[in-house]
Amino acid sequence: MAIDRYSYPFTAIVGQEQMKLALVLNAINPAIGGVLIRGEKGTGKSTAVRALAKLLPEQQVVEGCHFGCHPDDPEDFCLDCRERAKAGALPVTTRRMRVVELPINASEDRVVGTIDLEAALKEGARRFEPGVLAEANRNILYVDEVNLLDDHIVDVLLDAAAMGINTVEREGVSVSHPSRFILIGTMNPEEGELRPQLLDRFGLCVDVEGIRDLDQRVSIVEKRAVWEDDPTKFYQQHAESEQDVRSHIAEAIATFPEVELPREILRLIAQLSITLEVDGHRSDLVCARAAQAKAAYDSKEKVGPAQIGEVAEMVFAHRVHSVPFGKGGPNLSEVISRMIGQS
Amino acid sequence: MSVTLDRHVFPFTAIVGQESMKLALILNAIVPTIGGVLIRGEKGTGKSTAVRALARLLPEHLVVEGCHFGCDPDDRGALCAECRQRLAHAGVLPSHKRRMRVVELPINSSEDRVVGTIDIEAALRAGAKRFEPGVLAEANRNILYVDEVNLLDDHLVDVLLDAAAMGVNVVEREGVSFAHPSRFILVGTMNPEEGELRPQLLDRFGLCVDIEGIRDPDQRVLISERDAAFKKGDHEFATEFAAADHNLSRALVEAIVAVKKVRITSAQARLISSICVEAEVLGHRADVVIDHAARALAAYRRHATPNRDDIYDAAALALAHRARQPLRRDEEETTSPEQGDKQEGSKESESDSGEPQASESDSASDSTAEQSSSAADSGQQSAGSDQGMTTGGASGSESSPDATELFNLKRIDLPRQRRIRKQGGKRSTSQTADRRGRYVRAQPRAKVNDLAIDATVRAAAPMQVDRGRLPGERLKLERDDLRQKVRERKIGNLIVFVVDASASMDAEQRMAATKGAILSLLQDAYVRRDRVAVVIFKNRTAEVVLRPTSSVSLARRRLEKLSVGGTTPLTHGLMAGYKVVKTELLRDPTIRPLLVLISDGRGNISMFKEEPLVEAQKIAAMIAAEHIDALVIDSARDYSHLPSVQHLARVAPMYQTYAINACADLAERMGARYYGLYDLSRDEIASAVERELGRGGR
Repeated sequence: MAIDRYSYPFTAIVGQEQMKLALVLNAINPAIGGVLIRGEKGTGKSTAVRALAKLLPEQQVVEGCHFGCHPDDPEDFCLDCRERAKAGALPVTTRRMRVVELPINASEDRVVGTIDLEAALKEGARRFEPGVLAEANRNILYVDEVNLLDDHIVDVLLDAAAMGINTVEREGVSVSHPSRFILIGTMNPEEGELRPQLLDRFGLCVDVEGIRDLDQRVSIVEKRAVWEDDPTKFYQQHAESEQDVRSHIAEAIATFPEVELPREILRLIAQLSITLEVDGHRSDLVCARAAQAKAAYDSKEKVGPAQIGEVAEMVFAHRVHSVPFGKGGPNLSEVISRMIGQS
Repeated sequence: MSVTLDRHVFPFTAIVGQESMKLALILNAIVPTIGGVLIRGEKGTGKSTAVRALARLLPEHLVVEGCHFGCDPDDRGALCAECRQRLAHAGVLPSHKRRMRVVELPINSSEDRVVGTIDIEAALRAGAKRFEPGVLAEANRNILYVDEVNLLDDHLVDVLLDAAAMGVNVVEREGVSFAHPSRFILVGTMNPEEGELRPQLLDRFGLCVDIEGIRDPDQRVLISERDAAFKKGDHEFATEFAAADHNLSRALVEAIVAVKKVRITSAQARLISSICVEAEVLGHRADVVIDHAARALAAYRRHATPNRDDIYDAAALALAHRARQPLRRDEEETTSPEQGDKQEGSKESESDSGEPQASESDSASDSTAEQSSSAADSGQQSAGSDQGMTTGGASGSESSPDATELFNLKRIDLPRQRRIRKQGGKRSTSQTADRRGRYVRAQPRAKVNDLAIDATVRAAAPMQVDRGRLPGERLKLERDDLRQKVRERKIGNLIVFVVDASASMDAEQRMAATKGAILSLLQDAYVRRDRVAVVIFKNRTAEVVLRPTSSVSLARRRLEKLSVGGTTPLTHGLMAGYKVVKTELLRDPTIRPLLVLISDGRGNISMFKEEPLVEAQKIAAMIAAEHIDALVIDSARDYSHLPSVQHLARVAPMYQTYAINACADLAERMGARYYGLYDLSRDEIASAVERELGRGGR
């Protein structure tokens, strides 16, 4: 269920640049595959995700579709839209991409969807009532404290994420519908780890820490006080910078497919993956997409080593095995910067 | 406003002493955004009395008439959906004044009662899906009080954290989809003897006070006298404290008005942040809390702006459970940032500050452990932890290369969820019978005793037309429609390691082997929901260095710091391990504990003034009597079949002081399996544990 409340402006969040960047990159190109934000308590993880909601781009959807199907993407249509498309052009509307929350208390029926009670009562018909996974299609699915999510719900989530399709076979309804979402999770590692399979689903991962700089700390408290005092006014004060980021994102969405990924950059990415001994190829793809989005966001026409340097750590943070360099060896960011320096 | 005395509630002002507790409660009443208070203390120190007494002093606030969630009519952005609709329709919201309330969350609550659920009546009558609000709805804009909060079921803690994080309760369950505001002041009491709080929940409490019994005889007498007067319904007592409560209540109202005008200068803000940096708190919540509490305190003390004392008093309350370094109240006017940085840097290098969790008792005991350990640290080990500091550092980084290197971890694949599988349906029925756990799905059952209303209604719905139900009629249910709730619980094994860290363990890397074993088990723990706790005993005490956790990073950091040295208080160790098990069983009777003792069995410190060996034997018998599964790993033995006397004399001369093999004897008394450390490689310790738990299929 999406909620609309006073949220703290994204641009008023002090520091935590990596976290903010990871969120923005996902808004630009959902194919990056979401982000996991790990960190200590009280570092603004949840605040940032909620704040992102206001910066998300507008997108075209089929009007009246439960799943918010993309009108130009008939391949991915839900059954409803397919039927309707046969009758002629589909009505189209635009709406902002949303942050759909999956609460820890969720039960399976609400996550995958279930039988529509009213239709059943009135007509004895078995109609499908969409759940959270339907709502999340083409939106952001946000799980706060994702490491606390029930195994059972995690399984359902993994299923849907793997295929981009949610298949429901329950209570006499049999439906499958598109469910492609950007998975964003926050967690405090002290509360337990994430299942490896779920961890791998997150395209990016950032670790946040409390800020030690005194001025920044003071500024956090001060801004928060002003915000609590009058959230509306505070938001207005930041309206300009918010709009700035929003239009930057919108521009980047339009331009990122055109951003060039030179061969030597792809080689650099591949070398990083090899040196860091990561499993599989997901990291290469994610890294390329993230760097591309970053270049677009910076209004560059071509991805350079600089963009790789800016995104590599969040791509690899959760994919490296328990440190390949052994005791006393260099850490992840050192390895990355050294390799980028060489190229 | 007036305060009426309820004969059943002890007056707040009649509580003797415990000033910091009372102050913390008062500050929260003035500025609810402080975020509540955790009261830690021994039994019978007036914790619950104070919270209940506070209720009558709380100020009145405006609420929307008839709103389930007590929405604030002036706070348009935080209205619930219903109020928003009403506002859109009518243009105004009728409201009235109501006193803030204390809403109790009993620790045995079911999840549906906490978050809200489908309205059963509406569902059965009309097949309607209506949301029935739960405790979190009632708690909105009120105080949510959890007595014995450390005993709260894990999944309730999860739900609470979720709601507290955003001030909104989002419900997606049992067919209902609903969101409503749920901003509450969280007040919890706990007796730390019964177990610690989870770190994330701990941090949600704005303030924390540790209270203990009063030692002054005069005050103790006063307590008894007032209690007697109260019980008797003494008139004089009642009038005296009604007046006092009334005055306090008025002072509260004034402070609530005044606090809006209290401003914090940037110098003060810097002081607050430097206190936090110096105390090495995690995250930024502490800064915000101190800021709020200092304002509240200033308003309460009628200062226009917080003075140094206000700030330090607020900091003491806000950092009690967050500080990883003791709070220092130095008298210099302001700490310059450079100075603060320097101090922080030097502190980091002198001791490992990678404490992930910041309860006061923890950090206090850790620091003592540190002091005693640093002297006895074996060279090899301190090298290991130094490395850990430079690379992993205080950042709480995930992977620590050294642990991996040092202990040469092997991934051990333990079968998943062996309990449920092995015990088949039996276990799961007993689970549903006690109706604990999270309702995840429903299924038809021959005998339904935990009805899933939503699923039942959904099953019946399509048949209603055929069954001839007319609109408006009650739902026509048949036996086949009934659905049973399938509940899932994060159950699992609890492995409590009781580890001997006396000087004799130093030899031949016994500790390294032990640490390696624990870490190997943890590698898979998060998948299987097993949890591990570690009790260390050395010198004169035992200490729970790792409370039950499934967090690998936490465990790793704790274990890296372990060091050996001193005498062997075996009894203390067994006792502490036993207590950990008992506490966890109290919270969740379905867990399966396993106590693993790693020692040479040669206790030489007495706990109850008896012969140490005899004491240990008694505790061992106690563990056996409670049917706690146990495993004894003899650290002085290299194989588990009984050795010859000559061999004993050669490998372990210390046995000669005992006529018997103390360790094997303890194992027998505990009903435990007995192994020698060296016929078990690290991996084999893990698999021994595994075998022991596997035996649970019986």
